[in-house]
Amino acid sequence: MKDFRAPNEEQAAERSWDVVHAAYETREPVAWPRRHWRPLAVGAVAAAAVAAVLSPPGRSVVHSLRKAVGVEHAETSLFSLPGRGRLLVSGPSGTWIVRADGSRRRLGDYQTATWSPHGIFIAATHGNELATLDQKGNVHWTLSRRAPRFPAWTGSFTDTRIAYLAGRKLHVVAGDGTGDRVIDRAAPVAPVWRPGLGYVIAYARGSTVIVRDVVTGAELLRKGSDIRPRKLAWSSDGKLLLVFKPYATRVYDLHGKVVAQDDPSDATFDRDAAFVPGTHRALAIRAAGGGSQVFSLYDGRSVFRGTGVFRQLVFSPDGRWLLITWPTANQWVFVRSQPRKIVGAARISNQFGGYPRVASWCCGR
Amino acid sequence: MAGAGRDERAWVRRAQAGSASDFEALFRAHWGAAYRAAYLVVRDAAAAEDIAQEAFLAAVRALDRFDRKRPFGPWLHRIVVNRAIDWARARALRPEAEEVDAPAPERPERDEELLRELDRLTPEHRAVIVLRYLLEYTPGEIAELLELPRGTVNSRLRRGLDSLKDRLE
Repeated sequence: MKDFRAPNEEQAAERSWDVVHAAYETREPVAWPRRHWRPLAVGAVAAAAVAAVLSPPGRSVVHSLRKAVGVEHAETSLFSLPGRGRLLVSGPSGTWIVRADGSRRRLGDYQTATWSPHGIFIAATHGNELATLDQKGNVHWTLSRRAPRFPAWTGSFTDTRIAYLAGRKLHVVAGDGTGDRVIDRAAPVAPVWRPGLGYVIAYARGSTVIVRDVVTGAELLRKGSDIRPRKLAWSSDGKLLLVFKPYATRVYDLHGKVVAQDDPSDATFDRDAAFVPGTHRALAIRAAGGGSQVFSLYDGRSVFRGTGVFRQLVFSPDGRWLLITWPTANQWVFVRSQPRKIVGAARISNQFGGYPRVASWCCGR
Repeated sequence: MAGAGRDERAWVRRAQAGSASDFEALFRAHWGAAYRAAYLVVRDAAAAEDIAQEAFLAAVRALDRFDRKRPFGPWLHRIVVNRAIDWARARALRPEAEEVDAPAPERPERDEELLRELDRLTPEHRAVIVLRYLLEYTPGEIAELLELPRGTVNSRLRRGLDSLKDRLE
């Protein structure tokens, strides 16, 4: 009986993971013993959303998701990327590089990863180790730290820094693995370097977002909130910072002024948001009922919609193609706005040993 | 048990702190066993998926209160097996004339035979067999999980096994 396998285990796991993950993402961890009304209120909303899914009509929605969804005429595999560059993806089977011709190389059993600034090397984490690798997976150096995560690499050809989280602290280490130091306490949210000169980083500490120059130590911006962000992102020119939360996304300028925002209603929430490269426009994924849609944060224009769960928005480096990851359909969907074109690739989880997260799309300008 | 030990405690701790990747590790470590256990009790893939999924949603709701000193697996399996028994009992009360399950992949003959014979047992008997021989709990642990006297677990195991043995031999 130990060797028994139930029907369609992997597909069932991916469908359920989407629902369970959405519930997890919308929960607010309670800072016991202190209680605040806002997280509890948000928790109640999340519970209501989960309850809606579990109610008989909601369940019928979940059942309906099991029917075929996705882009019609999708390629049966990811044969190539529609744009230039290469993807770095991490999933249950480790971290992979996907090249424009569709070839895939597994780098190893890494959980989170990032490109070096010019896309030559990779920084990745596994267990209690931060490592840098070349694109064949050869390790250059490693650093032992407690459960490192979310590496972010910035700098020039001659001088680079890698930021990462270890435990509840934000660290920065030079690109050659030397000079590791703790910058601040940090919440488990991926830190992001501001594009451009200098070493300025945005990170979350509790529910507060902080922008800091790690060379001078100067705090350049601090934005408090009741709810911890899920994702931070800079515009390409480093002038705007996107602070993503499922129920309250904000775009700030460098003075901390809100220049765009999204506050989904109680019955809906956002799953991801991203800047269009080279612009100050941002797109977001809105989940509502049994479907998802990608829309512009600025004018509300809908870009793409479908049944089930969209998980991530990832732009090609030139901003022409938008990759929407669609685990319900087990597809990646590439959308080009001008001229409009949609390309689907199916059976993604089969190609990566589980449905992966895309770390970034690099270096194809 | 899958995922037991220090890794699992670390996953729970970091998932409580908001780490989605650690929560995913917890999910991946336990999904298979939860889904298989539910499937063997209810013998309906869609229902098994719902049951396992609901158990994980319950885990999300209870995550902040979860005692990290206790293993996650037994807590999850208790929910899965109890819900599976409830579901199987309810279906037995109102059998659906045209119930069609998703086409199953080809399985070894031995598995098919085992499934057919498990179908002949009551949900309660199936549950203890699954807990003992799929999830590898001891009779004492099964008694605790299902809140049954140890003797009842032993007798259900004995009768279930006898029944399977008679038919499979």
